[in-house]
Amino acid sequence: MQLVTQRMRRGILHVLLYAFLMPFCAFYVQAGTVLEPPQATISGTVTDTSGSPLAGVNLVVESKNVGTISGLDGSFSVQASPTDVLVFSMVGFKSLTVPIAGRNVVNVIMEEDVTQLGEVVLNAGYYTVTERERTGNIGKVTASEIEKQPVSNPLSALQGRMAGVDITQSSGLPGAGFNIQIRGRNSIGAGNDPLYIVDGVPFASDPINYSQTSGILGGSISPLNGINPADIEKIEVLKDADATAIYGSRGANGVVLITTKKGRSGKAEFNIHLNTSLGRATRFMDLLNTPQYLEMRREAFANDGIEDYPANAHDVNGTWDQDRYTDWQKELIGGTVHRTMARASVSGGSNGTRYLIGGSYQRENTVFPGESGYQKGSVLLNLDHNSEDGRFKLHFSGNYVVDDNDLPAADLTLTSRSLAPNAPALYGEDGELNWAGNTWNNPLADLESRFSSNSKTLTTNGTASYAVLKGITAKVNLGYTDARMDDSRVLPSTRYNPAYGADSRYSSVYRGTSSRTSWILEPQLQWQGSMGQLQLDVLLGSTFQQQDQHQLGLYAQGFPSNELLGDISAATTLNINLDSGTEYRYQAIFGRINLNHRQKYILNLTARRDGSSRFGPGNQFANFGAVGAAWLLSEENFIKEALPVISYGKLRGSYGTTGNDQIGDYQFWETFSLGGTNYDGVSVLQPTRLFNPDFGWERNDKLEVGLELGFWKDRILLAGNYYRNRSSNQLVGIPMPGTTGFTSLQANLDAIVQNKGVELELTSRLVHTRKVKWQLSMNLSLPENELISFPGLEASTYANRLVVGEPLGIRKLYYSTGVDPTTGVYQFRDYNGDGVISSPNDQQWIADMDPDLYGGLANNINIGPFELDFLFQFTKQRQWNYLYNGGFPGSMMNQPVDVLDRWGEAGENAPLQRYTTGNNADAVSAFFRYSGSNRAVSDGSFVRLKTASVSYRIPAKLTKGMDCRVYLQGQNLWTWTSYRWGDPEFIGVGRLPPLRQITLGTQLTF
Amino acid sequence: MKIQRTIYHLYFLVWSLLIPGCTDFVETDLPPSQLTGEAVFTDRATATAALANIYAGLRNQTLITGGYRGIGNLLGHYADELDHYGDGIGTIYNFNIHSVLATEPELATLWNNSYNLIYACNSILEGLEDNTALSEMDREQLQGEALFLRGFIHFYLSQLFGDIPYVMATDYRENAQIGKLGSSEIYELLVSDLERAIDLLPELYVTPDRIRVNRYAAMAFLARVALYFGDWDRALSLSNDVLARTDLYTWEEDLDQVFLKGSKGTLWQLKPVASEGNTLEAQTYIFESGPPINQGALTRSFMDGFAPGDQRAVHWTRGITNGTTVWHHPYKYKANAPTGSSVEHSVVLRLGELYLIRAEARMQLGALDGAMADLNKIRGRAGLSDMEGLDRMGVEAALIQERRYELFTEFGHRWFDLKRFQKAGEVLGPLKPNWQEYHLLFPIPQSELLANPNLNPQNDGY
Repeated sequence: MQLVTQRMRRGILHVLLYAFLMPFCAFYVQAGTVLEPPQATISGTVTDTSGSPLAGVNLVVESKNVGTISGLDGSFSVQASPTDVLVFSMVGFKSLTVPIAGRNVVNVIMEEDVTQLGEVVLNAGYYTVTERERTGNIGKVTASEIEKQPVSNPLSALQGRMAGVDITQSSGLPGAGFNIQIRGRNSIGAGNDPLYIVDGVPFASDPINYSQTSGILGGSISPLNGINPADIEKIEVLKDADATAIYGSRGANGVVLITTKKGRSGKAEFNIHLNTSLGRATRFMDLLNTPQYLEMRREAFANDGIEDYPANAHDVNGTWDQDRYTDWQKELIGGTVHRTMARASVSGGSNGTRYLIGGSYQRENTVFPGESGYQKGSVLLNLDHNSEDGRFKLHFSGNYVVDDNDLPAADLTLTSRSLAPNAPALYGEDGELNWAGNTWNNPLADLESRFSSNSKTLTTNGTASYAVLKGITAKVNLGYTDARMDDSRVLPSTRYNPAYGADSRYSSVYRGTSSRTSWILEPQLQWQGSMGQLQLDVLLGSTFQQQDQHQLGLYAQGFPSNELLGDISAATTLNINLDSGTEYRYQAIFGRINLNHRQKYILNLTARRDGSSRFGPGNQFANFGAVGAAWLLSEENFIKEALPVISYGKLRGSYGTTGNDQIGDYQFWETFSLGGTNYDGVSVLQPTRLFNPDFGWERNDKLEVGLELGFWKDRILLAGNYYRNRSSNQLVGIPMPGTTGFTSLQANLDAIVQNKGVELELTSRLVHTRKVKWQLSMNLSLPENELISFPGLEASTYANRLVVGEPLGIRKLYYSTGVDPTTGVYQFRDYNGDGVISSPNDQQWIADMDPDLYGGLANNINIGPFELDFLFQFTKQRQWNYLYNGGFPGSMMNQPVDVLDRWGEAGENAPLQRYTTGNNADAVSAFFRYSGSNRAVSDGSFVRLKTASVSYRIPAKLTKGMDCRVYLQGQNLWTWTSYRWGDPEFIGVGRLPPLRQITLGTQLTF
Repeated sequence: MKIQRTIYHLYFLVWSLLIPGCTDFVETDLPPSQLTGEAVFTDRATATAALANIYAGLRNQTLITGGYRGIGNLLGHYADELDHYGDGIGTIYNFNIHSVLATEPELATLWNNSYNLIYACNSILEGLEDNTALSEMDREQLQGEALFLRGFIHFYLSQLFGDIPYVMATDYRENAQIGKLGSSEIYELLVSDLERAIDLLPELYVTPDRIRVNRYAAMAFLARVALYFGDWDRALSLSNDVLARTDLYTWEEDLDQVFLKGSKGTLWQLKPVASEGNTLEAQTYIFESGPPINQGALTRSFMDGFAPGDQRAVHWTRGITNGTTVWHHPYKYKANAPTGSSVEHSVVLRLGELYLIRAEARMQLGALDGAMADLNKIRGRAGLSDMEGLDRMGVEAALIQERRYELFTEFGHRWFDLKRFQKAGEVLGPLKPNWQEYHLLFPIPQSELLANPNLNPQNDGY
């Protein structure tokens, strides 16, 4: 019987191998006949020194390099020969090597490892490396941290957790994107996004949606929504040259590696996770109330010498009730968000095969009035298989995410801040929208226009590896991704005041359908061996990747009825605005040589040769590479003797080159493309771009030195890194004057951008007893961005935007010298002394809008069954205040209370200028200069209690072997800042601020 | 056995390393929605599609588009034609109260879109140079149209911004640093482009609906250009030549016929995007309830200025009331929704303007009777009596009045007239508290000055 199953397994192996490793399948037949010692089932239990079972212990049969993981009750079962050796390991415990010595039952007790580094293994993409022996800079966040936040985008979970990784949220709306910068902006004009790899497969993060539909999300929908945070096991971020050079042309902005959850062998384990949250926008602006507002308006008219209020000044001329007051922020964006999440998974398997199947669902609504919401469902399947002799391994992971977003087509945030406080009621007495005699545009009519998107993302990965000979493994990594999106913006005639008589002939619909599919094939060969005391690890591989993208954008107008807006074939006018396809191809060879001398001196060499279809003939290929080295000081006897307090010490450094190709496809061709409209029935052809065939890769040279120290048996771990990245041959859409016909040109710019900085990380076990554990981690980044050189800057199109020696994030502004007490109008410094304040000559005040420092402080406290977590996120930065993009005080727009400090009469010294209705041209232009002056920039620093969570694990006695955890979490609970005009994190003016959320949840494992 | 294995190992190594050596893998074909520049001009259909892009751009996007951002609407507000009843924010309000700054995004859009179309003209002209793939007739037609359109767009830019670059090639290295030209140089280039267009274009239209220009449209437009630059003789002779072609162009006596797509008084009109569609002008101007917070209404001064009995007040405007107040909108174009098949096209050049051009040229050359005869042609159709015996001043006043009421809300005619007759301050000063003499020119978009310092200095006052 056993023989039969063995044969069957071997048969399956043959088939799989044939498929994946065709070129040397003949050889496999030879290898498969090698005789193996007889196998037996070995079982046992793993406990800690107190006798409690240990779950999740990693167990490896040494001779075969295959293994399993202990179950909840600490039990395990594995196939091995009686002469084999079992290796037990787990983070936080000392590894244990136990010879089987003919036994069938092996019970082991693992001792806690007071050093923290223990066995932490990091995924570096093409290879793994231990925390202890890594030469590069790799940051890591695990599921336990991700699960503590009610978020739907994985990037959100990284905020404040990693040094050198700066993440900001673009809007508090569900489905909105995040901006991520790993060690600052490298590129002046090309993309600054990192490369995302999900389970070994590149995940394109540029939006595929039709830009006409998603104005509320800034025109782009983050494809990262296609990854469910609840399915993530860990996220690793590769930062320096040593870690990223193996990604060559795509590594310049760092690499984010996302690994999904995997199964463990043992009996089926069910995991159920449920939570529900309530959320509200974090911060509102303090606006004028009705008396203050009307006073402003009346004074503005008086200032402008207008006595009879014009017919359109409904707020002051008596048309609207002057005693009425509405807090529009509360009314329009003050709603409560309800969010529910459920996830269930089952995992288990035998020694040879392990699986995890999980599904999850979440839904949330928005702060806006009316029905809006976001839903996401996902299915995850992970399968691992290894042959009995452990030489052949197969892994498959499949992840399918469907998300559905239904929002109003416009964000009401800006309206909520600018609407006059005495504007009429939203609804009339009859319950219908109130149009107040056509004196206003009822903001709720905007909710009639809808944005919706539906995306389906499939990410699959398969890897097969075979230990060809001792130490030599051949591996092939295959991946396929398929992302599809249907999005639409529906603009029904009901969004207009019914008095206009607009009927469904005025209704229109934008609709987009897009898809992106890609495949990747990466054959690899790895050799691990030793020469005396030198351990070698050599990797050689190649990549083939192809990505096809297609977008269809439709516009339909004029419907027989608003009921038919879902069927655009009913429209009288139907335009195909966009029907585009792009193809991207990429290939590479890469390699790594790692030399490790006595676990003390480590040298890591990586290289990649890349070719990409984004560049023209002659510019398609380029080479990248890096050298990394580490010296484990603490392994030196003289250190051990002289400084016994140091339990771990490592000095490491790396230098290398990476590239950036984020410029889009086909940019080197001179082409005409379809313009999406027609004239006299002829579809128009328009010149696509300015033509430049000669551009090449952007190059980023990265240098890093780091020192890592552990004290008192790693009770305190300190790491400090200094990095200096220089990005040259800048690949940019150089802004062009409109007279060239276009506003940008794709070209390499001979400029150098430097990012340097210091990152500090501290992890400490403040208290570490059996009952109470308190771990504190802190990270701090001090980034510095600088434009090092820019030949010909003065004559270039950047002359008024960049300054050599300053960061890329600067803005050149007017400098306000205050209000002229006589005229009551802002005055500005006349930099060039020509007597006139003009642009750009007098915009010489430099504001650096990049953060000065940022970081996080995380605490994890365990007291018996309670676990307490809190994370503070902090940033020191400047931020635009209410003036930026605001209207001038005195117009028919509400204002923050700040404007009360205005100039009133001649001779008065006031911080703010006179009110005007817009009829005082000097005051208006002075206001707009002021809103682009030093005064529009305020301190935007903040400390935020990003996450706080308390969880209680119900004692196992009560749950009969079930593991049950109940928790209460808060997100964005509190923000300390001197910034008064909304949320300081906020990067899009007029966008909904991030949400403050409270979550109650429970997690069951049995 | 061992040797065999080693061979397999080597085979694998070679396999994994050699394949990436070939460069074919990273070469891709163009997507189906793009054509190379060369391919476009080897075929009449695709070359025509490249030209159609310019007409469509003018119709949908910029300058003379009947849409919200077209100069008909913007300059209607900037001059004394349209009033704003909206919420007092945004581009239209800024134009209405004369608070247009160099940072006004709509100005940059207008500038960039216009030069983008000029680039398209130049790429066609370059693609057709030494082209043997097309027939001579097709080539000349396309070249003539491209030259006409290049001149047409430059003309408007020069009227809006004063000194501007005149772009005649596609090379970005030169165009990125191009400088401004003065008025007389611009005029020379306009004349040169338009005269070449007149030579190349056929007398008859290539399409039935007069939606692409012919020789007479180019002549009529050059007549206007000459008038604006004070070249009265040229304006007179060209308008004479066009008006003489009564076989092609006939005077529509019925005010309601002038803007229909089949009007015989039309020299050039823009065809709507859909075959059942109508003009953007109708969508932009017409409103159904007052106060019109999303559209401009004709100003009180405009409505009050109609001569008694002027039928254009009846046929070309329409009043909307809320019971107490009446607001008027331009009603030259009446179809603001799709009809079974399109009834109105956007008329860019028509006989009415040509009579006014000739009247003005005649007046400037002292032929007052001839000028009055032309004005009477206009007045007659509007139901007004003939004028006679006016002196020079009188003719000028009548001319300005007729231009105002004949051409209102059409592509900024009124604003350009106020400028040309130096009446802007006199007329707008009392209406617009922000009025400054320097408002005669718009500021060059700030983004443009930042990108090309050779365009400095900024226009006075900004």
